[in-house]
Amino acid sequence: MNRYEKAAVAAVALMLIAGVAIFVFAPTDFLQGPVQRIFYLHVSSAIAAYGCFAVVLVGGIVYLRNESAAADRFARAGALVGVIFTTVTLVMGMLWAKPIWGTYWTWDARLTSTLVLWIIYAGYLLVRRLAEPGRQAARIGAVVGIFGFVDVPVVHFSVTWWRTQHPGPIVVNDALPPQMLAAFFLTLACTLVLAAVMIAIRYRIETLQDEREDLLVAAQVVPARQPEAAR
Amino acid sequence: MTYLVVAYAFAVALLGGYLFVSLRRLRELERIQ
Repeated sequence: MNRYEKAAVAAVALMLIAGVAIFVFAPTDFLQGPVQRIFYLHVSSAIAAYGCFAVVLVGGIVYLRNESAAADRFARAGALVGVIFTTVTLVMGMLWAKPIWGTYWTWDARLTSTLVLWIIYAGYLLVRRLAEPGRQAARIGAVVGIFGFVDVPVVHFSVTWWRTQHPGPIVVNDALPPQMLAAFFLTLACTLVLAAVMIAIRYRIETLQDEREDLLVAAQVVPARQPEAAR
Repeated sequence: MTYLVVAYAFAVALLGGYLFVSLRRLRELERIQ
């Protein structure tokens, strides 16, 4: 078992502990019933996604400053993991909305801006996949990653800037009883560890893939030069 | 209750599935290297 596999096992174990906190420790909500337990991972995933997109932002800025390949790899890793956590946020939110609001989806500011966030970073991944690997693709990716981050504060503050169906901030407003708050912070911590492990694994994959591509390019260049040298 | 179960089943499948596929890909790349 290598260190990445050990880190993944530790992250899964932490998520199981979070599961115990969510389903055993946290009390059932009086108004919404058991479905309110979606809250713990729904909000934690959203915050983990913000963190991942912050990695894309920092990676993009560092790449534009000094063309660091490592920064570009971190940005790619952050974007992929961020899209996964945004998907979890969106789908869990929809499944929570149906029994509470009576509909899976409504075009309010929070839901729409989160969907836009998902589209921006899914677009980023698509650009990186379709573009020819190299400086040009990395530069375009960095710019998309930096400008895409503008949507993160829009998502976060949408519930205070506009009137939305989505509830406003409840954690910072002390609207949760202590046991729920403790379960939430534990889930948040475990989810952030999981996101960090996922980024680290993806970063390693990107590194190995880049090295492999460099070797393949070198192997293509060498035979092309051989006949010239033979002349 | 059904929505709660489906929501967490989806999250576990997506996050767990992604982690599993990533580790398999990493092992494959390290073996090639």
